[in-house]
Amino acid sequence: MSVAAFTVPTVTHSLSKDEELAEKISVRDLDFFYGDNRALKSISVPLYRGKVTAFIGPSGCGKSTLLRILNRMYDLYPNQRATGHVTLDNANILSPSQDLNLLRAKVGMVFQKPTPFPMTIFENIAFGIRLYERLSKSELEDRVKHALERAALWEEVKDKLGANGLSLSGGQQQRLCIARTVAVRPEVILFDEPCSALDPISTAKIEELIDELKDDYTIAIVTHNMQQAARVSDFTAFMYLGELVEFGETTRIFTTPNDRRTQDYITGRFG
Amino acid sequence: MDKSLYASRRRRNGITMALAYAATGFGLSWLVLILAVLLWEGFSGLSLSVFTEMTPPPGSAGGLLNPIVGSLVMTIIAVLIGTPLGIMAGTYMAEYGRYDKLTTVVRFINDILLSAPSIVVGLFVYEVMVAQMGHFSGWAGAVSLAVIVIPVVVRTTEDMLTLVPDTLREAAASIGLPRSLMIQRVAYRAARAGMITGVLLAVARISGETAPLLFTALNNQFWSLNLNAPVSSLPVVIFQFALSPYRDWQKLAWTGALIITLAVLFLSIVARILTAQRKTS
Amino acid sequence: MQSTGRGSVVDVALQGTGLSTAAQLDRVRVLQRLRLGDVAFRHLTRAAAATVLIILGGIIVSLVWGSLPALRAFGVSFLYEEVWNPVTEKFGAIAPIYGTIVTSLIAMLIAVPVGLFIALFLTELCPMWLRRPIGIAIELLAGIPSIIYGIWGLFVFAPFLQQHVQPFLIAVFGEIPILSTLFAGPPYGIGVFTAGLILAIMVLPFITSISRDVFEAVPPVLKEAAYGLGCTTWEVARYVVLPYTRVGVIGGVMLGLGRALGETMAVTFVIGNAHRISGSLLAPGTTISATIANEFTEAVGDLYTSALIALGLILFVITFIVLAIARLLLLRLNARVGA
Repeated sequence: MSVAAFTVPTVTHSLSKDEELAEKISVRDLDFFYGDNRALKSISVPLYRGKVTAFIGPSGCGKSTLLRILNRMYDLYPNQRATGHVTLDNANILSPSQDLNLLRAKVGMVFQKPTPFPMTIFENIAFGIRLYERLSKSELEDRVKHALERAALWEEVKDKLGANGLSLSGGQQQRLCIARTVAVRPEVILFDEPCSALDPISTAKIEELIDELKDDYTIAIVTHNMQQAARVSDFTAFMYLGELVEFGETTRIFTTPNDRRTQDYITGRFG
Repeated sequence: MDKSLYASRRRRNGITMALAYAATGFGLSWLVLILAVLLWEGFSGLSLSVFTEMTPPPGSAGGLLNPIVGSLVMTIIAVLIGTPLGIMAGTYMAEYGRYDKLTTVVRFINDILLSAPSIVVGLFVYEVMVAQMGHFSGWAGAVSLAVIVIPVVVRTTEDMLTLVPDTLREAAASIGLPRSLMIQRVAYRAARAGMITGVLLAVARISGETAPLLFTALNNQFWSLNLNAPVSSLPVVIFQFALSPYRDWQKLAWTGALIITLAVLFLSIVARILTAQRKTS
Repeated sequence: MQSTGRGSVVDVALQGTGLSTAAQLDRVRVLQRLRLGDVAFRHLTRAAAATVLIILGGIIVSLVWGSLPALRAFGVSFLYEEVWNPVTEKFGAIAPIYGTIVTSLIAMLIAVPVGLFIALFLTELCPMWLRRPIGIAIELLAGIPSIIYGIWGLFVFAPFLQQHVQPFLIAVFGEIPILSTLFAGPPYGIGVFTAGLILAIMVLPFITSISRDVFEAVPPVLKEAAYGLGCTTWEVARYVVLPYTRVGVIGGVMLGLGRALGETMAVTFVIGNAHRISGSLLAPGTTISATIANEFTEAVGDLYTSALIALGLILFVITFIVLAIARLLLLRLNARVGA
């Protein structure tokens, strides 16, 4: 594939710790169109392996749109197209020959509203596992348990695995969705405003969870909530009107932003 | 303020409101009248022999066993043919082809078929099956009923699948589910109650259909399960017996009408309960 | 497809997820198999959707094919000749066409105002707790098979009309020109008038439930604004609700008309099946569907059968046009509400 020749850009951002950053996903000169409307304008941004990258910006700035390109979710709808380069482990995922289901199995997504499938809690998770692997009953049960543990939900639901997923509370449903995503063993997890429909306690739980998950996964999160971005992310990208204004380490973005617009936004002067 | 003008407005309002009450009473009284007569006439003829004996020759007692069984068999076959086809077509319209030109055309045509005269369906199946095979048959009757089932199921399937939120589809896609599995395992499950309702309504619709059976399945005075031959059906027997001069036959026609109506009401009520459940969950 | 054997990059990529290269390959294989199923399912559903069009095409082609002999034999005169004689094999369709249109007109004249008033009652006047039961009752009325209306019309309604209503009409209108012709005796009970009334009862629920649905789609703010000006309920209905929903109401009325035109069983029982156009509404007549239902199985000879199929074709063309207009109007309304 021609994209293999695409070189990984050198990392220029300063790092607090002495560690090497590797780009899991890199976005280069990405444009996105809803029909004729250009929603993203030559975006370039890396997602580092094992790190949490937050995308912030006012409504309509294109942050969710960007996220939905990373697993080609936009392909479900007509008249939407992306041009440019998005590579996952140096393979171009925008290529028409990209197997979308394989891509989405690698790049999982958690949505704004909890989206449990209309089936039991157990089935919600077993469903995705069974799709790819032929496991014995006990192996499957172990995998479901493991996924629920990773999502910090096991203790709450272990006695009612046969209950409908919709019977859980909103926060529990969202963790169920995280468990479902984890169960498929993705490499990247995208969070699209995962807490905007949740109460503060559930939000805190999800944030904790994201922090635990980042050791094993590359994570991107879109959020409206700047405190949340500051709390959970290692890197932050500020977007405005379809452009990437600024990208850098979260601590730096929130303390000494380079761009005036970033500063205005994080200090609450607009948005 | 012009008092007389206000009074005349009040009066006009009073008159029209009274008309609205009267119209509602008028409409509902028909329901009561029809059901009352039906229950009265139907129940007086209802007995076990209705379900155990064959249709009688004029002037003697008998039952409705052969038309009841014939109707059941043809209805089941019609549903078996029409439901998968209708669900598939509705699936295409709501899922794969939601933004297709084909879907717009199919939806328009389907809506017309939904209220097209059923007797025309009978003529169509007569031309295509009866005239070609050279004889009336239960199969032809079942197919003409299936042609009536399809638009109903297409419509409800499309409507119900459209109601399934896109976020659920995205969630399914986000764990790598191919579209077909997403539809079969997630979307169908979410839309299940509504889709079953559609099938029930279709059954209710065909269980009283007479016109398309008149010259496809025809009628059969005797016990016959041979679908390659004319098959008796409840509506056709009612038609024939009601127009006959024989009191026994007319009595059986009323009883048959009661059976059909009860079946239709039962199906509508079950359908209603199903949709009500969906709304509360 | 991403190559999994690209050495270090991919190997590194797989670390930390516990997914081996072999498992990765497994996934590729599973997904390839699933994709085949996906393609098959898509084509299957597409074919099913196309079946709907094929059914319509089949109906048109078979009706045209079947009516060719009659159309060839009688030409355009089939449309306006009144004679219907199976013995001499002379057929003209004007009597059933006339009957179809007149019975439907009578039905609409009664059902449209009554249906609109019921819808008005349900949306504006009815206490909340009563709305659902009445709504359900109206829909049950719509669900009753037409043959039930037919048998009820034959045994209960027609005798009632014959004994009580028709003599009264004949007496009252006997002196008034035009009306005296329309309601000229004798009172048969069955006939065009009775068929029209039965049809009115049948289409009433359709018109009511569609009008109610479109009335309910009126934004509450609009109505509140009018009430705020001091409008009476009737004025709100007349000057706000009706103009706003005009397109939808007309669509619903056309839908009801489509039903009335094509209705078979309710009419067949009570129309009298007489192939002539009578000045009196009380006289027996026939409609297209009633003629087909009564005569098709007994039709001997290809020309007779063909003439009946030609009647079916005419019916289909008329109802298709009416229903198409109804659907287009309702589509337009939906587009506006959706915008």
